[in-house]
Amino acid sequence: MTLQLGHYLALSMVLFTIGSVGFLVRRNALISLMSIELMLNAVNLTLVAANRWQPAMTEGGSGLVGGTPAVAVGSIAPHGQVFAFFVIAVAAAEAAVGLAIVLSFYRLRKTVRTDAADMLRG
Amino acid sequence: MLLLSPILVLAVGGLIVMLIDAFQEQEGGLAMPTALLHFVAAAAALALWQRGVPSDAGSLVHGWLAIDKTTLFLQATIALGGAFASLLAGGYLAEHKLDRGEYYPLIAFSTAGAGLLVAANDMLMVFVALETMSLGVYAMTGFRRTSARSAEAALKYFLLGSFAAALLLMGAALLYTVTGHTDFPGIAAALQAPSPASGAAADDANAAVLAAQFAIKLKISIFAMLLVLVAMAFKVGAVPFHMWTPDAYEGAPTSTTAYMSVVVKAAAFGALLRVFLTVFGDAANASISGGWPAVLSVLAVLTMSVGNLVALTQTSVKRMLAYSSVAHAGYLLLGVVAAPHATAGIAAKSSVLFYLLGYTVSNAGAMGALILAGRRGAETVSYDDLAGYARRHPAAGFALTLFLLSLTGVPPTVGFFGKFYIIRATLDAGYTNLAIIALINSAVSAYYYLGVLVKMYMREPAPGATRAAPMKSFYVVFSLIVAGVLVVWMGLMPERWLSLAAEASGARPAAAAPAEGANNGGAPTPL
Amino acid sequence: MFRPFGGDVNPSLSLTHAYGPVFMIVGFSLFVACAMFALATLMGPKVKPEDRGEFKDTPYESGSPSSGAQHVKLSVKFYLTAILFVVFDIEAIFLYPWGVLFQRLGWVGLAEMLVFLSVLTVCLVYCWKKGALEWQS
Repeated sequence: MTLQLGHYLALSMVLFTIGSVGFLVRRNALISLMSIELMLNAVNLTLVAANRWQPAMTEGGSGLVGGTPAVAVGSIAPHGQVFAFFVIAVAAAEAAVGLAIVLSFYRLRKTVRTDAADMLRG
Repeated sequence: MLLLSPILVLAVGGLIVMLIDAFQEQEGGLAMPTALLHFVAAAAALALWQRGVPSDAGSLVHGWLAIDKTTLFLQATIALGGAFASLLAGGYLAEHKLDRGEYYPLIAFSTAGAGLLVAANDMLMVFVALETMSLGVYAMTGFRRTSARSAEAALKYFLLGSFAAALLLMGAALLYTVTGHTDFPGIAAALQAPSPASGAAADDANAAVLAAQFAIKLKISIFAMLLVLVAMAFKVGAVPFHMWTPDAYEGAPTSTTAYMSVVVKAAAFGALLRVFLTVFGDAANASISGGWPAVLSVLAVLTMSVGNLVALTQTSVKRMLAYSSVAHAGYLLLGVVAAPHATAGIAAKSSVLFYLLGYTVSNAGAMGALILAGRRGAETVSYDDLAGYARRHPAAGFALTLFLLSLTGVPPTVGFFGKFYIIRATLDAGYTNLAIIALINSAVSAYYYLGVLVKMYMREPAPGATRAAPMKSFYVVFSLIVAGVLVVWMGLMPERWLSLAAEASGARPAAAAPAEGANNGGAPTPL
Repeated sequence: MFRPFGGDVNPSLSLTHAYGPVFMIVGFSLFVACAMFALATLMGPKVKPEDRGEFKDTPYESGSPSSGAQHVKLSVKFYLTAILFVVFDIEAIFLYPWGVLFQRLGWVGLAEMLVFLSVLTVCLVYCWKKGALEWQS
C-alpha cells in the first residue's frame, strides 16, 4: 500500500467534516472556535498535499488515484505551501479577535455557551 | 504602485491614525482625519479612472491583484461608504460616551481590506482581504464593551463569519488541488474542457482517459464552487445564510451597522461578481439552465421574500433596516444571476454596480438619520420612539423620510432607478418570473418603510414616553447633507451615473460590448 | 496487495518504508511502558489496602511533596500577553521562507521584509503606548 493524494484528501475531508459538524452541533463558543481551527487545519493539509502532487494532478494524469509526488522539493511552484502559511497567520489573528470577543461576552454574561446568546431575537 | 494608491492610502493612513491615537494626550478628534483618508482614497480611485487603466493592470503584483474599472468604481463606492461611517462614528460614539480611538484605525484597515477584496485576482488574496475586512468589523461590532447585546452580536457575527471563511478556504484548496492554480484566470483556464484536437491526446483511448479524468476534476470543482458560493452567501447575508445579519446589525453600535450594511456588502458583492464571472464563468458552470445562476436565483428569491416578510413584523427600526438590508441583497443577487447572460450581461453587471452605489448613499443616510434621532441614554430604536418626531423636528424628520423613500424605491430618488435597472436587466436576460417576484417584494417593502413615516408624521408619543429629539453633531449633519444630495442627484440624473457604471462593467460606448474580456488571459502567478 | 486508491508502488513511499521507524518507536514505547507496570506489579512487595501508608496514593512529583490546588485560576493578565505573543510569534513564520530565499530575493526582498517588519513594529509601539505590555496596572 502506498500513500496517494486521495488518502490525504480523504483524511482532510474527515477532519473538515468533524470540524463543521462540531461547529454546528456544539453550543460552547470555545469548542466552536476549536472546530473552526480544525477546519482550517484540514484546509492546510489539503493545500500542502495538493502542492506535492501537483504535477501528477495537473499534467494530464489524475494524481487522485495514482501518480507520484514531485521528486525534489523546489521543482514545483510552492503556491499551496505559501497559501498554508497565510492560512496559519490569518488563523492566529482570527483566534486573537475571537478569544477577545468570547472573553468580553463571558465578562458580561458569565458563560461561554452560545445558547445563552439570546438577547437579540425577532 | 500608483494603481494601488486607494488601498495604500487607507492602509498607511490607518497606521498613522493608530499612532496618533496612541500618542495623543486625550481621546477623540480622529473622525475627521479618518473620513478625509477615505475621501482621499475615493479621489485616488476616481483619478485613476480618469487617467485610464493600463492594459497590464489586469494582472498586477505578479497576478495577485487585478485593477479594472469595475474595481475602481467599487473602491470609490467603498471609500465613500467608509467616509460616511467614520463621520457617523464621530457623532455617534461621542454622543454615547464610546469615543475611544481604536475605532478609527479599525475602519481604515477594514476599508483597505474591502478595497483589496474587490481588486483580488487570486483565491489567496480573496481570503486575506476578506479577513482583513472582517476582523476589523468584528471588533467594531463588539465595540460597546459594557453592553451584553453588543458582545452577543459580535460573538454571533464572528463565529458565523469565520465558519464561512473556512468554507471559502476549503473551496479554494480543492480548486487548487484539481487545477494547480489559485489565480482566477488560471483556475478558469484549467476548468475548460480539454480540446479534442490537442496533440497529446492523439489516440482515442488516451482521449477517453483524459475525458474521464476531467470529469472527476469537474465534479470536485463543482463541490468547491458550492463551498465558495455558500461562503459568499454568508458574507452578503443571503437567506438561508442570513441568521447573523439581524442580530449583528441590531446589537452593533449604529455607526458599525452603517459600515456593515454598505462597505461589507459592496465588497462582498464585488468579490462575488469577480469570482463567479471569471472563475466559474465558462459554459459548464454558468449555463443559463443549470450551474450557479440557477442556484443563485433560488437564493435571490428566498432572500428577497424572507427579508421583506420578516421585516414587516419588526418593532425595532434598526432591526427592520437589518432585514431590509437582507431584502436588498436579494435584489442585488438578481443582477448577479443575470450577469453571465451573453447580451444582457453587461447591463446586469452595471445595474448591480449602480445599485450598490445608490444603496450605499441611501442606507448610510438612513442609518445616519437614525443616529441623529438618538441622544445619550435615549437611543432611538423602535417605531414608537419616533412617534411625532417629524412634526417636532421637521428637518431631521425630512432627512429620515428622504432616505427611507429611496430605500422603498420611490422616484425621484436613486432607490427607484436602482431597482428599475436591476429589474430591466433581469427581464432582458429572460428571467420574467424573477422580475415579477422582485416587483411584488418591492411593493411589500413599501409597507414597513412607510410605517416609519406614518409614525413620524401622524402619531403622537404615548404620555410619559421619552420624546426623540435630534442630537447635535456637525459630523452627522454633514454626512446626511452629502448623502441626501447624492440620493437626489443620482435620482434626477440616473442615466449619467448609469453610464459610469456601464463603463465600469466593460461596456464600450456605442459599440457591441464583448463579454468580460478584460480579465482573461493573465499569466499564471509566478512567485 | 490491498490498494484501494491504486497506483504503482513507489519504494520510497510504501508505508513500511516511510513509516517503519515511526511504527518501531510506537511499538518500543508501548513495550517499555507496559513492561514497567508489569515488572512493578510482579516483583514489587504486595501491600494490603489497609496497610497503605500516607504517601502511597499521592501523585509522584519527583520526590518532593506536591503543593497547591489542582485547579489554579490564572490571572486575566496572562490572556493579553498570550494573545500578543501568539499574534507576533505567528507573523514570524513569514521570515522563514524569506530567509531560505534571501539570496534569490535580493534587495527587493529585503526592502519588502523591512516594510513588513516596520508594520509589525508600529503595532508593537501601539501596544506599548496603549499599556498592553504593562504587567502591573
